[in-house]
Amino acid sequence: MAARISRRGLLGAVGTATAFGVIGRPQVAQAQAATLKITTWGGKWGEVMKGEVLPAFEKEFKCKVEVDQAFPYLPKLQASAKNAPIYDVLHANSNEQWRAAVDGLVVEKITQNEVPNIKELYPYAVSDKIAGVTIFTSAIGLGYRTDKGLTPPKSWKDLADPKLAGQRGGYQIPVNSLGQSHLMLLGQLYGKGMTDLDAAYKALEQLKPIKLVDFTGQMEKMLLQAEVVMGVIHDSGIYRYEGQNQPIEFAAPAEGVLSLEQVLNVTPGSKVKELAYGYIDYMLRPDVQKKLAEAVWYSPASKSVKLDPKYDAKLYNTPEKVAQLIQIDWKWYNERKDEVDARVARILRG
Amino acid sequence: MRGRRASLGQRAYLVANGAILFFLLAPLAVVAVFALNPTPFIQFPPVGVTTRWFEKFFASAEFMGSLRLSLEVAAAVVVLATLIGAAAALALARGGLPGTRFLTALFLAPLMLPAILTGLALFQALQLAGFGRPTWALVVGHTLVAVPYVMRTTLAVLSDFDRRIEEAAASLGAPPLRVFFEVTLPIIRPGVIAGSIFAFIVSFDQFPISLFLVTPSRETLPVVLFNYMKFDLDGAIAAASMVSILLALAVVIVIDRLVGLRATMRF
Amino acid sequence: MPPPLPTASPASITLERVTKRFPGGVVAVDKIDLIVEPGEFFSLLGPSGCGKTTTLRMIAGFEAADEGRVVVGGRDLTHVPVHHRDMGMVFQSYALFPHRTVAENVAFGLRMRGVARPEMAARVASALAQVKLEGYEARRPAELSGGQQQRVALARAIVIRPPVLLCDEPLGALDRKLRQAMQVELKELQRALGVTLVFVTHDQEEALAMSDRIGVMNSGRLEQVGAPADIYDRPRTRFVAEFIGEINLIEGRVHDGGFIAADGRVLPVSSEKGEGAAALALRPEKLRIVSSGAGVIDGVLSDASFLGDQVLYTVTLADGRRLLVKERNPGTGALRQNGSTLGVRWEPRDAVILRNA
Ligand SMILES: Nc1ncnc2c1ncn2[C@@H]1O[C@H](COP(=O)(O)OP(=O)(O)OP(=O)(O)O)[C@@H](O)[C@H]1O
Ligand SMILES: [Mg+2]
Repeated sequence: MAARISRRGLLGAVGTATAFGVIGRPQVAQAQAATLKITTWGGKWGEVMKGEVLPAFEKEFKCKVEVDQAFPYLPKLQASAKNAPIYDVLHANSNEQWRAAVDGLVVEKITQNEVPNIKELYPYAVSDKIAGVTIFTSAIGLGYRTDKGLTPPKSWKDLADPKLAGQRGGYQIPVNSLGQSHLMLLGQLYGKGMTDLDAAYKALEQLKPIKLVDFTGQMEKMLLQAEVVMGVIHDSGIYRYEGQNQPIEFAAPAEGVLSLEQVLNVTPGSKVKELAYGYIDYMLRPDVQKKLAEAVWYSPASKSVKLDPKYDAKLYNTPEKVAQLIQIDWKWYNERKDEVDARVARILRG
Repeated sequence: MRGRRASLGQRAYLVANGAILFFLLAPLAVVAVFALNPTPFIQFPPVGVTTRWFEKFFASAEFMGSLRLSLEVAAAVVVLATLIGAAAALALARGGLPGTRFLTALFLAPLMLPAILTGLALFQALQLAGFGRPTWALVVGHTLVAVPYVMRTTLAVLSDFDRRIEEAAASLGAPPLRVFFEVTLPIIRPGVIAGSIFAFIVSFDQFPISLFLVTPSRETLPVVLFNYMKFDLDGAIAAASMVSILLALAVVIVIDRLVGLRATMRF
Repeated sequence: MPPPLPTASPASITLERVTKRFPGGVVAVDKIDLIVEPGEFFSLLGPSGCGKTTTLRMIAGFEAADEGRVVVGGRDLTHVPVHHRDMGMVFQSYALFPHRTVAENVAFGLRMRGVARPEMAARVASALAQVKLEGYEARRPAELSGGQQQRVALARAIVIRPPVLLCDEPLGALDRKLRQAMQVELKELQRALGVTLVFVTHDQEEALAMSDRIGVMNSGRLEQVGAPADIYDRPRTRFVAEFIGEINLIEGRVHDGGFIAADGRVLPVSSEKGEGAAALALRPEKLRIVSSGAGVIDGVLSDASFLGDQVLYTVTLADGRRLLVKERNPGTGALRQNGSTLGVRWEPRDAVILRNA
């Protein structure tokens, strides 16, 4: 009996030693042709990922990547065993990533030790508002029609213009993080700060009548169909129609833009952690950052990316521009989500 | 006088039917317009006619693969759900089992439960058992929610089934198995077939359950459409909807032709 | 014209202490002993729920007897499954196969017996001829009237030439006219085929008109078995007397070879042995109305109802009891006057004494 325990202890020690060894010498892990299970977006992003980024990654790291593009990621991750998680790397918006972090579904902290490229990032990308590592961000501002005689909005408050009654667009706050960030911003604009929910509710009341959608794709369509002439939307949702002659434009309000971060994090039970960190590091490489940023109009989180002028002009990739980004404390918000949802439902129903 | 009133009533009946048909078909018409319109969003009146969304749909390996998977799964589900549902209905209606009511409720339970929970529960069970997410899990999940439909339709036929008919057959010398195949089965057939058509549609359209059971390389059409919509809301969605509606219709017609739903419905 | 069906060789049916209990404690059939002769038209008659159907279903094999034996044609069938019993069965609900044509319905039993096609066709045609349904071969049951459906059911049952034919209220769903016509036909068919027929009915007229013998059932028991006239004229129990036809019952007792009514009056009966409480049973048509004082009892005519061929009079006695008297319609248009006092008499041999149990 005693012998067996000590043998198990020995095995554990050997395992740990091996693990450290692997981190020290990544090529050992590569030899095993491991499988990395990740989530990622679909659409154009998915095309570039599956078409170019991931094949190159697989080749370099001699592994296989299994990509889940089917929502919902979090419940699936939650339902799988902690020691055999269904994903190794979770790609999610900051909000959702926080929920995963609070539930212990992803690791608490990632540092330069595991992901060396973190040192190249703007501070917001690994700030205390982020659970994991931000690889890109979008800027949430106001999208508007250019053919309806509107003065381009300069302030978030322009959305409350009475002329826009019934033609302004917002989100179903319980299901959409753009709507949630906007709500918190209202507290800052009209009250004592981001956490002044009472002021936010009052301001939200003032925005009625307002057209509400579930997800950003719908907001794009509403703008394109002119059912909404001004609405809350992220820059990439407008810029993706660039060159298609659509009469829509993005405006960054003077008070700043809300950041909509794309965050990666690793599951604690992952059997290929070093590969998972390697993947995050890979996603932060300048060439990968440039390729994806220019494909979907996301602002790269890495300081060392040189974008083509067209993108450079619009995306948030200088210290000055990055200073415009307002980050949301999702942990704070998520703790109050049920209460907020109930309150908001009452406001928006009536 | 009387003839006139009858024709008025008849007209009202036709108008009512027309209205119902309109409400059923109007969304389809919208989808069709969207599918054929060149703009990537719904525009009315349409600005032209294009087949580009259909081309995009048929050219996409992802759409085609998922369509194929959906059809394969639905085919398996139809067979399984029909066998299980009909057998269960027979056992419940005929078996004289103790706790028949409880068992009926149990079999129909997947209908009461939100399908998303059924999917999640199944997913969790598979994860715990270490099965991962094999394609058969998808078939099992769909079958679970399709069986109640077959059961319901079969039970409905069985409930006004005169058992004397089977007794008559037995008294004429038919052993139990022949009674079943020569009398029982032909009489309950319309119910079973109606159920199997439901089963096909339930599986082919199934979203909540598939949501958890699809794997990265094998996703069913509704799941692919849902995720596609999150990133690219364009006419390809409408084209895909058109195609799946037409396919479902085709399958119903084929089942009808093959097993003669209408012929057996006649009595 | 197809040749007539060869006659079946009829079988006898013997029930020995046959009992059936249903869950819940209902004793549907209680130790019945019965012998039905080969070729006999035997009716089971009784009120609703008395166990007629259950008895028939045990003969057919649809229900297993909890006790006793079922022997048909000398073969003990108690444990033989339905499909090996070789009996024709006709249900009240017809129970035709809805998905098959008339011809296919009739041919079913022959197919089960592996009869060759040409013979099958001939026998189907002949059976349909026998129930007068030529020309309906291709129809489906839903396209037939109730009477026609019952004929198909009959043809389907007789085509297999069963030694025994069982009918459970086969005419119950038909209207009165059609029912009477079918009674005649069924009786003729049974004679022509020579088949043993057990016929369940709760209609006493039907049973009296058609049967060679009748078994009257009450609460799972056979009260009396006999020829129709026997059952009618000589009921052995109050139940049988009251269930069949109309009857006057006078309470009293048997004493010294005669009958003494409750009021002490001695009433005319054929000599009766024994002593004890009993009732005197008199059929209304066996009573005669005579002038006051000339009969056994006097009373006042309190009601007259015209029945067509007969007139039913109610005579109220001094103690308030009533006697029903049936007379032939005299055809003169004149009925007896209400309120007139008159006498009632009967022949001693027409009086039946029913002992109290
Ligand atoms: N399957 C059964 N389960 C329980 N009780 C039954 C069943 N079938 C008949 N019974 C009971 O047995 C008794 C006899 O029923 P049966 O059908 O034999 O009567 P019946 O004489 O044919 O009556 P009817 O003239 O109404 O047809 C009834 O009390 C009935 O309720
Ligand atoms: Mg009965």
